[in-house]
Amino acid sequence: MDTQPINILQVDDLNVFYGSFQAVKGVSFHVKQGEIFGLLGPNGAGKTSTLSAVEGLIRQQSGTVTVAGYETLKHPLHVKAAMGVQLQATSFQPELNVSEILQLYASLYGLTLTQEKLKTLLREINLAEAEGKKFGQLSGGQQQRVSLAITTIHDPKLVLLDEPTSGLDPQSRRQLWSRIEAIREKGNGVVLTTHSMEEAEAVCDRISIIDHGRIIATDTPQALIDKHRDDPEVVAVSRRGKVTLEDVFIALTGLDIRG
Amino acid sequence: MNQMEITIPKTSAVLKALLKADYTTLWRNRRANLMALLVPMIIVFSWKSMVSMPMFGPAFVLSNAITLGLVAIGLMGYTNSIARDRDKGVFQRLRVSPLPLWTIMTSRLIVQLTMIMLLTLVVFIAGYQFDHISMSLSGYIYTFLISIVGGAVYLGLGQAIVGRIQNPETVNSSARLIYFAFIVVGMFGELNVEYLKDIVNWTPYGTVKTILASSLEPSKWNNQATNALLLTLGYTVVFATLGIKWFKWSTK
Repeated sequence: MDTQPINILQVDDLNVFYGSFQAVKGVSFHVKQGEIFGLLGPNGAGKTSTLSAVEGLIRQQSGTVTVAGYETLKHPLHVKAAMGVQLQATSFQPELNVSEILQLYASLYGLTLTQEKLKTLLREINLAEAEGKKFGQLSGGQQQRVSLAITTIHDPKLVLLDEPTSGLDPQSRRQLWSRIEAIREKGNGVVLTTHSMEEAEAVCDRISIIDHGRIIATDTPQALIDKHRDDPEVVAVSRRGKVTLEDVFIALTGLDIRG
Repeated sequence: MNQMEITIPKTSAVLKALLKADYTTLWRNRRANLMALLVPMIIVFSWKSMVSMPMFGPAFVLSNAITLGLVAIGLMGYTNSIARDRDKGVFQRLRVSPLPLWTIMTSRLIVQLTMIMLLTLVVFIAGYQFDHISMSLSGYIYTFLISIVGGAVYLGLGQAIVGRIQNPETVNSSARLIYFAFIVVGMFGELNVEYLKDIVNWTPYGTVKTILASSLEPSKWNNQATNALLLTLGYTVVFATLGIKWFKWSTK
């Protein structure tokens, strides 16, 4: 019997244009069940555009994206039902409180959240005291927990997280990492974008580095470090004698500051 | 790749959930929404003396009050809420959920139509209570239906504004400016200058006011009212088409 984990996400030769500007150029990668996959790149490299095409927020000009066996352009609702998405800048209706937001999104995924289930969920995300608060009244960490709870409320096969730890304190960040690992343990796939190389090294099973719309390297964090540790560019940027993923990343994408 | 078993929620359940959220939002914003009823109420109270004047009459007072209320709902309420939610990323979050996109706007429009019906009802009650205006049953029923047709023009215009302009502050100020312009247009229409009256009568303000006034007194419905109704529908189609064509779900 074949016990190999199947690809929960398959991206093939993806091309995305904004007018005449090509943001994503022939990007291909896959994510297996139970895998945390990191998409790393400088600002404007094409990470969010790639994720947006997977999420169905923008339409690719060519290439295919398949989630849980469904092509995004042919079965958009199946794809969206199979995914949980945490956007970079997420907001909810400011007039609704935490409980109402959770109930709304549960309903949008076809779930009924009884009062008992709601209370359990709120306890799980340490927001039992804040159920009546509006989203805008929550701290950054609390907002992030609500957002992640909604992302995973329907136990999606694939979770997409766009810079999920941006603006979080170390405690909240660590807590989020544990939650991401819990998603993996359930056998679901995770794709995350991040600017934190420490985070990518700590949580990702494999990463792709994307720059100028193209994927320039894909492997496990350790394999990428091992493969490039003796490159002159890596040695030149490494500090304190120890080569890190950040050194490899900077050597591959350059020192120039992007938009 | 083999397709996994995925359950898509029923559209009716999705629409019900969106409506519940949008009605909750409407209720929580009740103070702001009451402002849309303020100008019509002021007209009903302050134009009491016009009710008995032969050149104006009850239909004139009520149709002006309802028209300005419809403008306020379409241009101020709907437009600003869409612009704000788009800017905050509320729509993007909804768009990554498994729902047909039309359900998002349909829910919003149903809520606005409820506001339009509420406005019409409040004006009828206020007109009866304070100005002792009593119309025929058919007049009330027709006006109720025509107010929805009239409201659609301003919702369409609001959609066009929010489609053309991205920044929520600019949307807000533009909507206010157009609202003010409609009030001025209404005032010009009352001047005893024939050519100004003709122009005003065929503006989106004038056509809606005409069909509302005629529906209040169905026996007086004439060719001008029919033409105004056709033009109102035409305005709605044009504004809605432009609004849909120009609209972007995100400001990014």
